[in-house]
Amino acid sequence: MEPTREKNATLVDVLDRALNKGLLINADLIISVADIPLIGINLKAAIAGMETMLEYGMMQDWDEALRAIAREKRAKAPEKEKIIMPVGEKNEQRTVSLLRDK
Amino acid sequence: MKDLQIEEQGRYIYCVAKGSEKTSLGKIGLENSMVYAIPSNGLLAIVHDCEQKPYDSKDEEKVKQWIKQHENVIEKALQKFETVIPLSFDVIIKGKEPGKEVVNWLQAEKERLERSLEKVKGKQEFGVQIIWDSAEIGEKLSEDKEKIKNLVKEMQKVPRGKAYFIKQKIKKELKQEMEKLADQKFKQFYSKVKEQCSEVKVDKNKKAGCEEMLMNLSCLVEKDKVSQLGKELDEINKLKGFSVRFTGPWPPYSFVT
Repeated sequence: MEPTREKNATLVDVLDRALNKGLLINADLIISVADIPLIGINLKAAIAGMETMLEYGMMQDWDEALRAIAREKRAKAPEKEKIIMPVGEKNEQRTVSLLRDK
Repeated sequence: MKDLQIEEQGRYIYCVAKGSEKTSLGKIGLENSMVYAIPSNGLLAIVHDCEQKPYDSKDEEKVKQWIKQHENVIEKALQKFETVIPLSFDVIIKGKEPGKEVVNWLQAEKERLERSLEKVKGKQEFGVQIIWDSAEIGEKLSEDKEKIKNLVKEMQKVPRGKAYFIKQKIKKELKQEMEKLADQKFKQFYSKVKEQCSEVKVDKNKKAGCEEMLMNLSCLVEKDKVSQLGKELDEINKLKGFSVRFTGPWPPYSFVT
């Protein structure tokens, strides 16, 4: 497979890299705001690393990207009735109902 | 911008490259600022002049735009200088004469910077994320594992109250099996990927709905190994329940710290 840099699908990857990686410089030399060097307070609040990004709003980007992959893969595979759903919290309800129906 | 003298302005640094000329890259920086190279002793810092305060905004779109521009400058520098050390977003050198501070910094860090440049020379960074569809994997496991299969059969025969306890058992069993499989697959895939890379960093997994990330890697890859890595990933991508996200090439953000 070929690597992708498609802009919409990889925005999160760019943000992740530019915010959380890359070379940093000794704090004496650089601008800092109240002990938060490099990234100002508001910016931190708006995009406080990936965790927050994923929780608020940015989640959709990921979801979309991942779902697109899953959709594509599923489209190739033949349809099949699900027997047991996974253990994850989100699927709890579904697990219960599916098992009961049997 | 206020009437600051150029010497008094901060220097926003995008990246470091090898070179000795004070070249200009044009108005391609954050908010279309003029980007140029500050040379010192065989190294270049790619910068623009700015106020001595960080880029900061509550407007997420604006911030995203800045970050895209940051990335874009580094891309342009990569094309021009072949090898660069990307800096994190929003690194601004301050001081009475920031231009001189940049030169001093390049000199003081010369050895370390050159070592980093040498390490990433001729290589590119790629993101490799392996996602597994826990629904599909769970289903497969419940078909393959005798113990779970029997529990499911048993549950279907008994009344609801008892079925509840069996269901709990199935969940526990399935969870254990999935963890075991995740472990095993992680090792297997990691070693396949690693073979094609000069260096691999394991990043934190990210969650996204039902599809869980099994592994999140940043890979430093020699240019002539990229297609082989793609082939290995193809094999993984073909496996039922697994899919691969292969992104890049990125500037080597993960390999310069």
